[in-house]
Amino acid sequence: MDFSLILRRFKTSSSYYISIGIFIMLVIGIASSLYYSALKIDYVWRWFRIPQYFVYQDQVEIRAQIEGEIESILIKDNKAVIGIKSDEEIEVHTVPISDIRVDEGDLISPGDILATYKKWRVGILMQGLWLTLKVSIIAIVFGILIGLFAGIARISSNPALKWSAITYIEFIRGSPLLVQIFIWYFVLGTLINNILAKKGIGQISPLWFGVAALACFAGAYVAEMVRAGIQSIHFGQIEAANSLGMTYIQSMRYIILPQALRRILPPLAGQFISLIKDSSLLGLIAIRELTKATREVITTSLQPFELWFVCAILYLVLTFSLSMFVQYLERRTQVT
Amino acid sequence: MIDVKNISKTFISHSTEVKALVNVTARINPGEVVVVLGPSGSGKSTFIRCLNYLNVADEGSITIDGIDILDPNTDINKVRAEVGMVFQSFNLFPHKTVLENVTLAPIVVRKKSKEEAKKKGMALLEKVGIQDKANVYPDQLSGGQQQRVAIARALAMEPKIMLFDEPTSALDPEMVGEVLDVMKNLAREGMTMVVVTHEMGFAREVADRVIFMDEGAIVEVGTPEHFFKNPTHERTKLFLSQIL
Repeated sequence: MDFSLILRRFKTSSSYYISIGIFIMLVIGIASSLYYSALKIDYVWRWFRIPQYFVYQDQVEIRAQIEGEIESILIKDNKAVIGIKSDEEIEVHTVPISDIRVDEGDLISPGDILATYKKWRVGILMQGLWLTLKVSIIAIVFGILIGLFAGIARISSNPALKWSAITYIEFIRGSPLLVQIFIWYFVLGTLINNILAKKGIGQISPLWFGVAALACFAGAYVAEMVRAGIQSIHFGQIEAANSLGMTYIQSMRYIILPQALRRILPPLAGQFISLIKDSSLLGLIAIRELTKATREVITTSLQPFELWFVCAILYLVLTFSLSMFVQYLERRTQVT
Repeated sequence: MIDVKNISKTFISHSTEVKALVNVTARINPGEVVVVLGPSGSGKSTFIRCLNYLNVADEGSITIDGIDILDPNTDINKVRAEVGMVFQSFNLFPHKTVLENVTLAPIVVRKKSKEEAKKKGMALLEKVGIQDKANVYPDQLSGGQQQRVAIARALAMEPKIMLFDEPTSALDPEMVGEVLDVMKNLAREGMTMVVVTHEMGFAREVADRVIFMDEGAIVEVGTPEHFFKNPTHERTKLFLSQIL
């Protein structure tokens, strides 16, 4: 029987709705048992405290620099211009009028608050999320480039290219990412930064060693996908391109790679979703990405339950967006 | 135009040697239509593929338009640009539209402008009778239509020679005619053609000369008249008796 027909029959039967019910019960059951066990250990859920780690209002204080007297306060278009006069000099501050703490004629010492205002600031979780996004995007771009090059080199007949590619791929795939990150940061990072320091050039920040580790790691897996993608293209395509007088590079660029890349798009997406998640390891080399940001917030707020869930959901937002984007690409590049 | 001297080709598969071509010598003159016949496994496909360097002859020499293509210093892509090839399995580029299939090589190899290539491409599609399918993808076309696009694609490079490697063997019988018609027109226009085929009617009607191959060697060469009516070799007679 046709599978869709089986599905349609299943959908109209009562067992279909019972199954949906079971699923909902399961979700509610897990959530409530979690909540109940948290109550048991007297954990107080304080979800309302979470948004401040995304954005918060900061009180900005404007302070006097000199000692003197407030000579004038001029109000102009929601701004106040406060002039302070001392024996030798005049200091002028332009402040919002919302909360002015001084009057004309007041005597002021250095450090006295003249006015305050509130300003929206980006919270630490948002900064971490942004850093994770940034690191992932850069690593994905370089991962694709490295993977393309290594994948093509992998099937080259030139031993220098082929063996380099095989060595690279096997080394990367055969060791843990965490170890590779440490090698990049503690070994290569130390070497490079010391050499740079000796030459008097500025240091490279840990961020770039983290990006390099992720890009090289993803590149090795992408290389194998690229190789498989290229080899899956029918040999007649290369022959047709050759018979038209195209060079190797032209036939790769116009004929083979466009078809191969389209084919490897789904596994490629999986690899990059892994990369986003793997970027959480970068916290260990002092890059304050989302996971490290979450840990820092927890040490100050003591709200681990809420924050780890939030952290997981934020990763889910990133990975889900990526997989949506890839699905869109797949649909767009599909031939009829 | 094409001068083949004593070429041999041996394939090694699973450590057994298969002699695909044995000491083959042939000459194709400008404007000539040469049809290569022979039973399957006779080496006729290998022969035509050697002419485009898709298979590399182990020994001997192949000269096309005065250029020795087996010379390591020859830029084979330059020669290939002058020699069009049509394959049994069409080998159209599935990710490109029909028109893009035809215009791609002139644009990237001949460095023609897009407009020029498009104009020429449309003219060629009209010539092979599928101008109304210019913007669809190859998999929406029938086999016969795909093969005609493949011919147009090869012609877009303005080749001096056209090679056809069993162009109708993968087609449903009712589509063979439309492809052969295109090839006949091409022959009438004076194109130099080498055609590997099983279409005896085409050989009889269009060929200037017929080459009959068996077991990697050329058995008999002659006009269609001679070949079909008075074959000299026993092997040729046997072949004709089997297919006619």
